Amino acid sequence: MSGGRMKFAVVVFPGSNCDHDALHAVGEVLGQEASFVWHQDTDLARYDAIILPGGFSYGDYLRTGAIARFSPVMAAVEREAGRGKLVIGICNGFQILLEAGLLPGAMRRNDSLRFQCHHVYLRVENAGTAFTNRCRAGQALRVPIAHAEGNYHAEPADLARMNRKGLVIFRYATPAGEVTPEANANGSAENIAGVMNEAGNVLGLMPHPERAMEGLLGGDDGRLVFESMLAAWKEGKARVQVSPA
Amino acid sequence: LSEGQVFRAGDLLYEGKAKRVHLMEDPDLVWVEYKDDATAFDGKKRGTIRDKGYFCAQVSVIFFRLLEESGVRTHFVAAAGERAVVCRRLAILPIEVVVRNVVAGSLAKRTGLPEGTALPAAVVELYYKNDELGDPLLNDEHVAALRLATPAQVAELKRTALRVNGVLRAFLSPRGLNLIDFKLEFGLHQGTVLLGDEISPDTCRFWDAKTHEKLDKDRFRRDLGGVEDAYAEVLRRVSSGPVAGAQGAAVGAPGADAGAAGGSRRWLARVFVSLKRTVLDPQGRAVLGALEALGYGGGGGGDAGAGGAGAGVGGDRSAVRPDRVRVDDARVGKYMELSLSAASEDEARARVDDMCRRLLANPVIEEYRFELERAQ
Repeated sequence: MSGGRMKFAVVVFPGSNCDHDALHAVGEVLGQEASFVWHQDTDLARYDAIILPGGFSYGDYLRTGAIARFSPVMAAVEREAGRGKLVIGICNGFQILLEAGLLPGAMRRNDSLRFQCHHVYLRVENAGTAFTNRCRAGQALRVPIAHAEGNYHAEPADLARMNRKGLVIFRYATPAGEVTPEANANGSAENIAGVMNEAGNVLGLMPHPERAMEGLLGGDDGRLVFESMLAAWKEGKARVQVSPA
Repeated sequence: LSEGQVFRAGDLLYEGKAKRVHLMEDPDLVWVEYKDDATAFDGKKRGTIRDKGYFCAQVSVIFFRLLEESGVRTHFVAAAGERAVVCRRLAILPIEVVVRNVVAGSLAKRTGLPEGTALPAAVVELYYKNDELGDPLLNDEHVAALRLATPAQVAELKRTALRVNGVLRAFLSPRGLNLIDFKLEFGLHQGTVLLGDEISPDTCRFWDAKTHEKLDKDRFRRDLGGVEDAYAEVLRRVSSGPVAGAQGAAVGAPGADAGAAGGSRRWLARVFVSLKRTVLDPQGRAVLGALEALGYGGGGGGDAGAGGAGAGVGGDRSAVRPDRVRVDDARVGKYMELSLSAASEDEARARVDDMCRRLLANPVIEEYRFELERAQ
């Protein structure tokens, strides 16, 4: 047996509103250990993974994620990310990771100027990551979005680098997994819905996999993301165990 | 076009006093190689400064990246090794723009003010880039008479030069360097004015904030010795982070008001943040659409058919005369007012700039500017 459950921290900022969904997703559905962590906390060393959930931290004042990025907890998130812990930022969590510089790029207002709240299909661009190892490359995942500022922008140099290194993880696509202009939910550069850092342990995505965990609630494709994290963690543990002391 | 891309230098296009310019495969780009040769006094004094090319290229790359991040449009594309930079090819305007914060060099000779005198506000000067004439000082009317640039371009040059001054001073002050004066060159690229040339100890005067030691080409001009060390010291400071308490006694920075040492003054900063021109602005586009509905659309005909477009929208708009005014673009940004206390204008400027970079604007997609004034 793997021995023990994976420990997830769900960070709660003033204005987070998907924190309970995230806790339910990994705690109840996946049966792992999940705890809320307050934005004032400064030590996340005992967790295996950190979830920055969706919401409207600090009322989205100034820019989405701009204020939350300076919370005490973000220094701890940065530290644990540096140690290779898995970090996933969902929606507002993604925006915070961008503002913190843990992922490249920035968010603009949706090109429609509307709050977009519906299901989308995400093409899995790289199935060899800690967040997608349970998916097939090219697979289309059905997951909801709910945001007004998800129009991803990155400098051409960053886009080229991310494409070259396989760091673009999800793109908005058709149900068949084709990346088309019509499938672009918000005007994002190159239909980008989720990106990963070079070290491969920090993922940010606008769609909400934690809201797609159970068939009863309209679909469970989001499970693949969290199950991938679990598998990556178990494999990491296994590697640590076999290496000589 | 990006950093990280592999570039190759082609045929030599031009060799100047301090640089060699090579063509590249892309006709829009040039490869600029920095030489160790040094000249002064219009080429009357010549020499070599060991590794000057390296120091100047490196310092210039740091400054141009900083300026680009701060929203100043420049020719810089990428660093290319230790002594070379890839730039956009410009049609250089024959005007040198000099910004002075403290009296030094020719300004001391021309005005009789002693070197080191703080100027009450930054002074911008224009010089005719012409070796035969010895690069004479010009005023705006001379520039117009010689047709060297349009009045609008001159205004833009001056505005940009002052902006560069603000950005550089805010960056250099916490690194213990006083920016005494500097020279800029500009050029046209597809109709747009871009900052060109270099910004380095060859084109600036830097004094150590505490000792007032000269760390620039004046060491070569005046045979002060230690030229290489001074250039290396500038590179070391601009490559490292800010140092607390590095500002020193602020000789000479305009508005520093050394007399008010220790005292704190109140300032009002008005900060403007907007999306970079290169970033699509969905809100601006929506506003533009609404303005079009009001009859202010771009691209409409002149005043023929007066009243046609506007009157059709309905309501009483007769006073507006929308047919005569067309809006071509709209950008939506943010405006903030900050009230702060700081001992000097320099200090206030440096702090507000830091706030802008780290919080108020997101440098990936936004640019900013601010105005600072004394408050009651």
